[in-house]
Amino acid sequence: MGFLLRSLRCSKPLFRSYLSHPFPAHFRWISSSSALLRPESSVALAADPPPRTPVAGARVHIPNPDDAIEVFVDGYPVKIPKGLTVLQACEVAGVDIPRFCYHSRLSIAGNCRMCLVEVEKSPKPVASCAMPALPGMKIKTSTPVAKKAREGVMEFLLMNHPLDCPICDQGGECDLQDQSMAFGADRGRFTEMKRSVVDKNLGPLVKTVMTRCIQCTRCVRFATEVAGVQDLGMLGRGSGEEIGTYVEKLMTSELSGNVIDICPVGALTSKPFAFKARNWELKGTETIDVTDAVGSNIRIDSRGPEVMRILPRLNEEINEEWISDKTRFCYDGLKRQRLNDPMIRGPDGRFKAVSWRDALAVVAEVAHQVKPEEIVGIAGQLSDAESMMALKDFLNKMGSENVSCEGNGISPNADLRPTYLLNTNISGLEKADAFLLVGTQPRLEAPMINARIRKTVRATQAKVAYIGPPSDFNYDHQHLGTGPKTLLDIAEGRHPFCSTLLSAKNPAIIVGAKIFERKDKDAIFSAVETIAKLHKVIRADWNGLNVLLLNAAQAAALDLGLVSSPSESIRSAKFLYLMGADDVNLEKLPDDAFVVYQGHHGDKSVYRANVILPSSAFSEKEGTYENAEGCSQWTVPAVPTVGDARDDWKIIRAVSEVAGVRLPYDNLEAVRARIRMVAPNLLHVDERESSTVSVDMKPDFQHQMSLEPFEAAVENFYMTNSITRASKIMAQCSSMLLKK
Amino acid sequence: MSALAALKMVKVPPNSASMEEARKQTLEFFKMACRSLPSVMEIYNLDDVVTVSQLRSTISAQIRKNAHIANPKVIDLLLFKATEELSNIVTHSKQRHHVIGQYVLGHEGGLIQDMGTKDQGISEFLKQFYTSNYF
Repeated sequence: MGFLLRSLRCSKPLFRSYLSHPFPAHFRWISSSSALLRPESSVALAADPPPRTPVAGARVHIPNPDDAIEVFVDGYPVKIPKGLTVLQACEVAGVDIPRFCYHSRLSIAGNCRMCLVEVEKSPKPVASCAMPALPGMKIKTSTPVAKKAREGVMEFLLMNHPLDCPICDQGGECDLQDQSMAFGADRGRFTEMKRSVVDKNLGPLVKTVMTRCIQCTRCVRFATEVAGVQDLGMLGRGSGEEIGTYVEKLMTSELSGNVIDICPVGALTSKPFAFKARNWELKGTETIDVTDAVGSNIRIDSRGPEVMRILPRLNEEINEEWISDKTRFCYDGLKRQRLNDPMIRGPDGRFKAVSWRDALAVVAEVAHQVKPEEIVGIAGQLSDAESMMALKDFLNKMGSENVSCEGNGISPNADLRPTYLLNTNISGLEKADAFLLVGTQPRLEAPMINARIRKTVRATQAKVAYIGPPSDFNYDHQHLGTGPKTLLDIAEGRHPFCSTLLSAKNPAIIVGAKIFERKDKDAIFSAVETIAKLHKVIRADWNGLNVLLLNAAQAAALDLGLVSSPSESIRSAKFLYLMGADDVNLEKLPDDAFVVYQGHHGDKSVYRANVILPSSAFSEKEGTYENAEGCSQWTVPAVPTVGDARDDWKIIRAVSEVAGVRLPYDNLEAVRARIRMVAPNLLHVDERESSTVSVDMKPDFQHQMSLEPFEAAVENFYMTNSITRASKIMAQCSSMLLKK
Repeated sequence: MSALAALKMVKVPPNSASMEEARKQTLEFFKMACRSLPSVMEIYNLDDVVTVSQLRSTISAQIRKNAHIANPKVIDLLLFKATEELSNIVTHSKQRHHVIGQYVLGHEGGLIQDMGTKDQGISEFLKQFYTSNYF
C-alpha cells in the first residue's frame, strides 16, 4: 500500500506544463503522465523531500566509522556502511524501491530490472539491487527517468503474464498486482498471443501455474541456498526460459513451502489452500508453532471456525522468515479426528458420549479408589506450561509424585537448566565454526535449526561432524560413527576430529534429545561434558554445549519439575492420566488400570482409554510454550474450540474440584502466578532467560556406557504428533516425499 | 381447533387472593397446557423428536422450577406469562425450531436439563466450566 500512496503522490499529472505545451510533438499512447514525455527536462523539478523513516524499521549498524560513506537519496543525505547496495541505501533513507527478484535473505540476481533508479552521472538507470553504493552517489528514485524505466519493465513483465488474477490464489497479496498498480502504465500495447508454459509437478504441497512465472528465480535461489536441495533450476533461454525440476522429480525439501511465500506472483501457490479462500477474508492471529521444539513464529489465518492456512512470521532469533512444511501444512489435522464430547467406555468396549458432569464424577471416583502411588500422570508433547502446572499440582495433591512429560526419558535431570537447553541460542549458532552433532538429526528434528546450521556452513565453511545413524544432510559433513564408541574416542582425544574442534574458535556440540531415553544417558552426557572441557566449548563468552529437544512441551516440563520416570511408574499404575500423551508405551500398563485420556485428537492412546476428556488444540487456546533455547512464547487462540471441548488446565482444575482436592486457581492469571513460584522464567515471554550456573557444578557420574548405536529420533518427519498424524496432507507427504 | 377455541375462551384470571387460590390456578394452567399438547404435536410435527409425556414433564419441570415462590402476586404474573407463551405456541406464532430449541433441547427446562441440587456447593468456576469453555 505504501508503494501505491507514494507513487500516487509523486505522479500527479502536471496539468500546467501540459497546457503550456499546446501541440505535443509526439503523442505517446503509453505514457501515464505528460511529465514522462520529457524525462530529461524535469530533473530540476526535484525539490527537497522531508526525511523519511527507514523502510520496515531498517537500521544500519556501522561498526567502524571509517567505513561509513554518505550517499544522497532524493537529495537527502544518509550515512551507510561500505558495501551496501543502492537499494539498501534507499531503504535506510526510507524509500521503498520496487523489486521482484531481490530478496534480502537470498543472493542477488539482478534479473527483473524492476529496481531501476537514476544515479547522477550514470548514462543509464541502474539496477539498484546489484549496484554497490559509492561515496557521494546521488540516487534519484522518483524522477521521470526512473518512473519511465519502471513502467517499461512492468510492461515487459506483463507481456507474458496471464490476466487470470480473478482465479489466482495470489490475488490480493501479489507483488505484481500491487506494483503494476503503483508503477505500471495504465494501458498496454500488447496485441499478440501470450506465451504459455507447462506446469510442473513439485509434489503435494506446492501448486505451480508456470505461465504466471516472471523468472525472478527467487525459488531457485531459495532451494539451492536456504533449503539446500538442487531440485529447481532455469531451463531454456530468452522467451523460452522456464523454472523447473530438470527431470520429472518432486521437490523433496522440508522447507519447500517457503517458495510459496517468496514467489512474488501466483506461479507457486499452496496446493492444499488452492481455491479455498481469499486472503482478505481471513483473520490473522499471530501465534507460535508447537510441532517441534523450535517454537517458530507463525500466523494462523482463519475464516470463521476453520484454520485456512499457516504462514511464517518474522523472528530473527528463531525462525527468521521461514517455517518447515510440517508447521505450514499440518493445519488440516486440526479438523480431523477431533474429540468433541466427553466419553466413557461402556462394558461393551464402545465409547458413549456423556456430559462433563458425569465424566468428571467417574474420573474423581476412580482416582479415590486407588492408592496415591498408583496414580500416574503423563503430559503429552503438545502440552502448554499452564496445563502441566495444573497436572502436577493435581497429582501432588492426590498424593502422587509420578508426573512426567513424554520424551524426557528416565528420571530426567532438571536441576540445571543448561543441561537440557540449546545454550548457544538458535541465532548464536551462526557464530560457531565447528559443530559436533551427537545422536541428533536436526534436519528431521528441528528443520529451522538445521537451516541455521546450513546458513553457518555456507557463510563460514564451518565444519560439521555427526555421530548417529546414517542420515540425510543438506550441507557438507563428516559422518564419524554411529554409536558411543566414537564419542569415547573424541572424549579421549584419539579421534582426528579433535584437532578440528581444538582449532575452532567457537565449537558447538549439539546432543539430541533421543539420548534421554537411553539407559546410559548419564554416561553419554558425562562423555560429552568431557569433550566440552577438553575443547573449551564452554567459556565465559561462549557456551557451545547444547541439547536439542524434540517436543514443544519438553523444556517447560523440565522447568516445572515433571521429572518422574514414566516407563517405570506405568508398570504399577492403576490410574493413568494422559494429558495428550500419545507416544508413551502402554504395553507394560496393567490390564486393570483405569486410563483417562485428555486430548484433542483420537490418536494412539485413545484405544486404551476408559474416559476421554476433550481439550482444545494449540490453535484454540492461550498457553505458554518454552522452546529448545529456553525462550517462552504464548499461543493465541485463533479459532473457537471444537464441540464441547475445554482448555486443558480448566479440565484439570474441574477434575480436582470434583475429586475434592480443589486447585487454588480459577483463571489464567492465577495459574501463571502459581508458575511464577515454580519457574519464573516461563513468564518472561519472548525473551530468552540465560542461565547463570555452569555445567561444571554438576556432580560427576561414573556409569557404564553401552556401545549400542544411537537411534533416530524421528522416523517420519511429517507425522510426529497427534495433529500431524491426523492430517491428510502430511499423510500424502509421507507417502510421496519420504525416501524409501 | 378445540384447543385453540378453548384458549380463546381463557381470560386472564383475577388476582389470586391466597396461596390456595394461586395453587388452584397453577394446576388449572397445567391441565390446559396438557390438553393442548396433542394439537401442538400436530402443528409442529414433533412426533419424531419428542413424545407427549416428555413435553408434559418439561412443562411440569418449568413449573417446579418456581416452586419456592411464596408470593401469590408473583405467581399470578408468572401464570400470565405462561398463558401468553402457551397461546403463542398453540396459535402457531412460533416455528418448529423455537419449540424444539426451547422445550426439547433447551438448557432451561428442556429435556436434557440438569436442574436441582447437584450444583449446590460447587464453585463458580465449576458451574461456568459445565456451561462453556469461555469465561
